[in-house]
Amino acid sequence: MRISTNQIYGGAARSIERNQSQLVRLQNQLSTNRRLLSPADDPIAAARALTVRQNREVSAQYGENQQEASARLGLVDVQLTAVGDLLQSVRSRVVQAGNTILADSDRQAMAAELATRFDELLGIANSRNADGEYLFSGHQGATVPFARSAASSTTAAATYYGDDGLRSLQVGPSQQMATNVAGSELFMNISDGNGSFSTSALGNGSGSLPNQGTGQIDPGSVLDPQKWRDALAGGFPWQGASNRQLQIQFSLAGGTLSYQLFDASTPPPPAAPLTPVAVSTVLPFTPGQAIPLVTTTQPPATPVSTDFGAQVVVKGTPAAGDTFAIEPSTNKSMFQTVQELVDLLRTPLGSSTARSDFIGKLQQHLVNVDQALANVSRVQSTVGTRLQQLDSLLSATTAIDIQYQATLSALEDVDYAQAISDFMRQQATLEAAKKSFTAISDLSLFNYL
Amino acid sequence: MASGLIGTGLTGLHAAQLALQTTEHNIANVNTPGFSRQRTLQVGNPGVLSGSGFIGQGTRVATVERMYDQFLSEQVNRAQARASEMTSYHEQLAQIDNMLADSATGLSPVLQEFFQVVQQAAANPGQLAVRQAAVSSAQGLAARYRSLGEQLGQIASGVNKQITTTVEGVNSYAEQIAALNQSVVLAEASTGQPANDLRDTRDQLVLNLNKLIKTSTTVAADGSLNVFVGSGQQLVVGARALTLTMTPSAADPNTLAVGLRTAAGTIQEMPEKLLSGGSLGGLLSFRRESLSPAINDLGRNAASFALTFNAQSALGQDLLGQSQLSATPNSFAPNVFNLFPPAVTASTRNPAGSPLVSASFVDPPPFKGNFYTDLGSSDYRLSSDGTTVTLTRLTDSKVWTGADVGAINTLLAADPQGFTLASTAPLLAGSSYLVQPVRDAARGITVSPAVAADPRLLAMAGPLRTSSGASNTGSGAISAATAGSGFAAAAAALPIALTFQAGGLQNFPVGARVSIDGGAPVLIAAATDSVPYTSGANITLVGSVASTPPAGFSFTISGVPNNGDTFTISRNTGATADGRNALALGQLQTQDTMSGKTDSFLDSYAQLVSSAGSRTRQMEVRAEAQQAMLEQAENSRESFSGVNLDEEAANLIRYQQAYQAAAKTLQVASSLFDTILDLL
Repeated sequence: MRISTNQIYGGAARSIERNQSQLVRLQNQLSTNRRLLSPADDPIAAARALTVRQNREVSAQYGENQQEASARLGLVDVQLTAVGDLLQSVRSRVVQAGNTILADSDRQAMAAELATRFDELLGIANSRNADGEYLFSGHQGATVPFARSAASSTTAAATYYGDDGLRSLQVGPSQQMATNVAGSELFMNISDGNGSFSTSALGNGSGSLPNQGTGQIDPGSVLDPQKWRDALAGGFPWQGASNRQLQIQFSLAGGTLSYQLFDASTPPPPAAPLTPVAVSTVLPFTPGQAIPLVTTTQPPATPVSTDFGAQVVVKGTPAAGDTFAIEPSTNKSMFQTVQELVDLLRTPLGSSTARSDFIGKLQQHLVNVDQALANVSRVQSTVGTRLQQLDSLLSATTAIDIQYQATLSALEDVDYAQAISDFMRQQATLEAAKKSFTAISDLSLFNYL
Repeated sequence: MASGLIGTGLTGLHAAQLALQTTEHNIANVNTPGFSRQRTLQVGNPGVLSGSGFIGQGTRVATVERMYDQFLSEQVNRAQARASEMTSYHEQLAQIDNMLADSATGLSPVLQEFFQVVQQAAANPGQLAVRQAAVSSAQGLAARYRSLGEQLGQIASGVNKQITTTVEGVNSYAEQIAALNQSVVLAEASTGQPANDLRDTRDQLVLNLNKLIKTSTTVAADGSLNVFVGSGQQLVVGARALTLTMTPSAADPNTLAVGLRTAAGTIQEMPEKLLSGGSLGGLLSFRRESLSPAINDLGRNAASFALTFNAQSALGQDLLGQSQLSATPNSFAPNVFNLFPPAVTASTRNPAGSPLVSASFVDPPPFKGNFYTDLGSSDYRLSSDGTTVTLTRLTDSKVWTGADVGAINTLLAADPQGFTLASTAPLLAGSSYLVQPVRDAARGITVSPAVAADPRLLAMAGPLRTSSGASNTGSGAISAATAGSGFAAAAAALPIALTFQAGGLQNFPVGARVSIDGGAPVLIAAATDSVPYTSGANITLVGSVASTPPAGFSFTISGVPNNGDTFTISRNTGATADGRNALALGQLQTQDTMSGKTDSFLDSYAQLVSSAGSRTRQMEVRAEAQQAMLEQAENSRESFSGVNLDEEAANLIRYQQAYQAAAKTLQVASSLFDTILDLL
């Protein structure tokens, strides 16, 4: 083929240019360790790299959230332990207070000690985290969650000003974890008594006298929760919807100590209170026997039997006219429990009757302290479970991160062995092109003219 | 005899001299672009009849011809037009590719950073510093959207400028070709000889013209060259050149289109698709096929982001305790991001008195606790023939037809495109509007000034608080309430204290509607109406207006409540440590929030990157292929027409020798003449 002079020069220049641009490209890849200099180099890998990088960073953010959640729950856990320890010490004081050889002054001292415990408990309940937010106020981080109730309040020693809000963090793609415990759940909403009902000594007769006998009622137990729930939810036709209360009244029937169940509920105020109405027959009593909460006659005198699926045990010998009350559990805050103990221990004991009454009440409060303790350990176990979950999430996050990193590297990074060998090859080609071009350009017939 | 000898010798001398001159001309023009080597065409002079037959009378140069092949030349022209088209397309596209290439300047790092800060804010919603950081990175994200949009806009205006200069170039070449036509015709008509160098120059101009736009040519009998563009529109006819000019497109006045100024002086807009080839063709198809979709893709991303974020944000409560539930006037800022509304441009050819048409984004529909948009990246055309209104999606020519704009909106409600249309009056026959829902979204996204000024207005908390009654005896627990769109109407009667009684929930606000697990809403006629209780069922308070699916706020109550247990829903005042809405905002990052709940923000951006990348790659390959074909065509032409210096050197020697030989014959003739003279 005929070749024009321009073809010789043009072709050589083009091939040198081409080689050079390849070489620069390879050098660029080598010096940046990036296989993809622009998305055009491998569009699919470029798009995948974007997605993988976002996934990796999102996962890293989850990791940070997990650590943050862990730290926050750790702080809650510390406070829970403190509450548990405090309640434990209150409990041992209560047990100690039951000792009959103690004098009034000893009990006063104990009362003083428990009063400081109360303040301590309030302090823990109002503790803050590192950012100055209250730990146990739900969503209302800037609100002091607990304060002493007004003196007029007879039912609560402290009032909760927070809410039930859970402060959650995103710890996984579809997992949010609460990093707090609402104060209401930990301190306030604790069922008193045995969790289903509470028992108490009500007093003798209609007067204000305490029970005169030595009878002591135990906290009782629910044998069949379903029956208990049914009876409570409407199976038992209470005579009034509020202040629901069963009473066990003791009497002497024909010289035999006997008991009878009464329904002492009343309609809600402002309706006038009703007098208790008998809901069982008079039954003979043996000290220490279990009294099943089963009604046989009900107002208005329809003989319908309701089984509450529960029983209480009365030990000792009650006197005729002694009355014990059984009420469905309500929530009693820890503060209330401690405050009531303080009040109880401050009351001097005069007669042996009062002493017996005191022991009964102490027993009742001990049950409430145990409920509070159980609640703390329940909460603590949920916090513990969350912490455990976070631990496993964290290790998964680390493993996933390594995975993402490997994927990213495979997508984006230069294969050095390949790139260096390509570079050498390209370099050799360029040198050959240059040398051959100089050789050709030297050849001209004009040199010989 | 001697005069015959001298005469014949002289013809040889003359011919050799011309050949030497032509060779020198070739050598001199070795580097002239478009030059075709020339050679002399030598013919013998007719002999003179004598008794002994015809006596040769020497030689003459019949003509100087250029080694030119019309076919090869046209091949180069065509290859040049295509190669220029691909190269200019690729050059432009590489700008987008490079812009998206750097992971530090793209969208993904700022998007990531923004959502990271949102999550931090979810963890510490009460801290002003974190909120300030959230506002700052929101501004950073909006600025990045704007700067990416701006960069694409700059590429667009750069392309427009280049189109304008290219058109000017076309005009200038056309004029030069017309002028040369005149010269060629004059030169050739007077001499009858081909005007080789003028023709070469003219061919070179046509080649240069083909770098700008694809042309076809015909040579007229008088030697002038007629040039046509597009589908046969005359550009140069004889000595007259027509002018291309830039004119705002009738369909989209914001875009410059190429028009042909006719002899009558009117401007005829040329359909873009006809203007193929050359850098003009490359620029136009780049603008149409790659740039506009990229701008729309980015805009769609920005619009979807802003719309979904705002929709979720509107369901929250700010640090000042304000939400949609607050009494008016309040300074609650539901929109964190501001956005330009969809652009609607009326055609300049619309009949007088055409109504004003506008479009607006529809509120993002809810999905999995978040929101999504149906926005696509296409533009739409709304047109009317007087009886039927037609909306056409320009990317795939999908058509919606109806009697009026309202009918179109009804169709769009069933087949959502993310926007609705509005017209101040019925459309006139023959009117046409270009609807560009997301064209300006990326360039127009900003952080709401209210939020920017006061980060406390970021709605990080949930607006509703739920609580179980303190004296509840059962184990029933109420979940946190989730606000959905329209919750404000449903929550008008807060606080709501539900009571559990005899297996049902009572005390719902009278007049409200309640939906259980998304079922048909039931109207509450009296406070004693009981809604059957199922543990864990999703209870939605729909508010007074029933809607499908039931929207309002939802919660669940689970466990075993006892009679008389209460559950309260109230306003979430003082909730400084509540980051629930921020959590929901944070989830937008990974949710399928775009293209009708199929893509996340980053998925869609990654698609933009990958489509720009693969297009660039494709164009690069095609440009290389075209370049190779051009080289081949050029080689073929060069091989035929190009000057080879060695060849010319050989010719020099050859013609030199011929000259010397011819001179020698003169010498011989002279000595012969001398011999005769000596005899005298």
